Amino acid sequence: MLGTNGNGAPGSGSRPLLEVQDIYAGYDPNVDILQGVTLHVNEGEIVCVIGPNGAGKSTVFKAVYGMLGVRKGTVLCNGRDITNIRPQDALKTAGITIVPQLRSVFSQMTVHENLELGMYLSTDKAKVAERIDYVYDLFPRLGERARQEAGTMSGGEQRMLEIGRALMWEPRLVLMDEPSAGLAPIITKSIFKAITRLNQEIGLTVLMIEQNARQGLQASHRGYVIELGRQTYDGLADDLLGNANVRRAFLGGH
Amino acid sequence: MDTLVQALINGIAVGGFLTLMVLGFSIIWGVMGVINFAHGEFIMVGAYMAWFARSEWGVEPLYSALPIFLIMFVVGFVLQKLVVNKVIDRPHLVSLLVMFAVSIIMSNSVKLIAGADFRRVNSDIQRGFWELGDIATIPRKHTVVLVVAIIVLVALQTFLQKTRLGKSIRAAAQNREAAQIVGIDIKWVYAFTFALCIGITAMSGALTSTIIPVFPFMGPPWALRAFVITALSGLGSVKGTLGAAMFLGLLESLVATYAPGSSGSQLAVITAFGLLVVTLVLRPQGLFGGLRPVDAGGH
Ligand SMILES: Nc1ncnc2c1ncn2[C@@H]1O[C@H](COP(=O)(O)OP(=O)(O)O)[C@@H](O)[C@H]1O
Ligand SMILES: [Mg+2]
Repeated sequence: MLGTNGNGAPGSGSRPLLEVQDIYAGYDPNVDILQGVTLHVNEGEIVCVIGPNGAGKSTVFKAVYGMLGVRKGTVLCNGRDITNIRPQDALKTAGITIVPQLRSVFSQMTVHENLELGMYLSTDKAKVAERIDYVYDLFPRLGERARQEAGTMSGGEQRMLEIGRALMWEPRLVLMDEPSAGLAPIITKSIFKAITRLNQEIGLTVLMIEQNARQGLQASHRGYVIELGRQTYDGLADDLLGNANVRRAFLGGH
Repeated sequence: MDTLVQALINGIAVGGFLTLMVLGFSIIWGVMGVINFAHGEFIMVGAYMAWFARSEWGVEPLYSALPIFLIMFVVGFVLQKLVVNKVIDRPHLVSLLVMFAVSIIMSNSVKLIAGADFRRVNSDIQRGFWELGDIATIPRKHTVVLVVAIIVLVALQTFLQKTRLGKSIRAAAQNREAAQIVGIDIKWVYAFTFALCIGITAMSGALTSTIIPVFPFMGPPWALRAFVITALSGLGSVKGTLGAAMFLGLLESLVATYAPGSSGSQLAVITAFGLLVVTLVLRPQGLFGGLRPVDAGGH
């Protein structure tokens, strides 16, 4: 695992790809769910966000890619201000994509069509075909099921498809909201393995949220704890795994 | 036997153009989550435009249908931008009420401009009957409308399945958030979908204006049939809508044919709406598919 083999963030001098600076956001006009969240993700890192249910973790993601308005603060991508970007522009102009917490396959389309839509922004058919082959290489299971309707697949397969679709347009940063939620332990393991592999092989940068805090941190370089709309701890994944307070609150004691 | 064949043939013809008349309602609901209460009024406006073109300029409804489609496409686009778009993120009831208000405005405006009289839309090319031996006769106007309906449905299905824009519409219907994530401009998809559906709906009114009674308040029964068919077929599917419309067309035709005395048309209507009640009570997910809420996110 990345966290335990002593590696910190890759090239500790590498520059931040995503910077979230003191943002405020919420659903009800009078209530800020996020009250000054600050975090960053460096190029090539896997960063894990943990924290209790309802803390605002998913809300951070929505604010980053423009699904929810940012009221105060800024979001930078590669040093460029992308605060309140339109969701459909996040991928095209900032290279940011997301695998949302809730199932998000196009359920009445085939696996193949789902992947094609991952490259909706491209009209280069040859390139699309090439990327689909790439994803099938990565997840052979998806290749076997190319013509199956996505909605009829198991939860784990749908998750794989969501991740595969997210990779189609060669994103610079993937936001993954609880990739392991609702999956059997063995599938969870293979999903984390795939994330680690993508990070090592193609340098994919990942910001993920995990309920499964221990495994999530173990697969990551750095981590943040978010509670009540603010980050309360941050550090190298190993350090968070070793931190007594974090252990007591989020890693099941001891 | 002959009566049965005749009833079946009528039913299929009615089912065919019923599909065209209600499809826009189903697609708008499926893609945007908007229940277009003014659906019947767009059929009405299309029929009046065809009547006007025929009586003022002598243009056959078959030929005015395309220009009417284009004009109402633009009207739909503008209406979406100015009105529907503003309420689309609010609860369903809001858009439903807004469209209900629009329907009242439309029917009363037409009454103000064209009067409350029933209008008869004549057609030279749609006159007469085809004889099927001595088994049955088919009104020529039914065949013309049916053939055009089939052409439009095939074109629409191909568009939705094969083109990039069509795929983005289906994607938006199946998962709005995911559609945005892959880069689909959802507002544009909504505007286009609404425009397309309003265009097709008005065109269906123009085409059927030679068959159905045309008057300012003709809309509601058609909107309600759209409800029945959508409840049976599920949202936004061309094939499902075709199946359910055929079913309803045949049922209404058989009931009308075999009903005693002059009770036919009332009994047909009673059957249609009885079907709605039964479907919703017994199978809330619909018979041929399901009333999927948009954004259900896959199941
Ligand atoms: N669509 C929404 N509308 C209103 N409130 C919401 C919505 N989504 C989340 N919330 C509220 O925002 C808070 C943070 O939610 P969320 O970011 O989903 O938490 P989590 O850390 O579990 O991902 C919670 O109190 C939740 O009830
Ligand atoms: Mg969450």
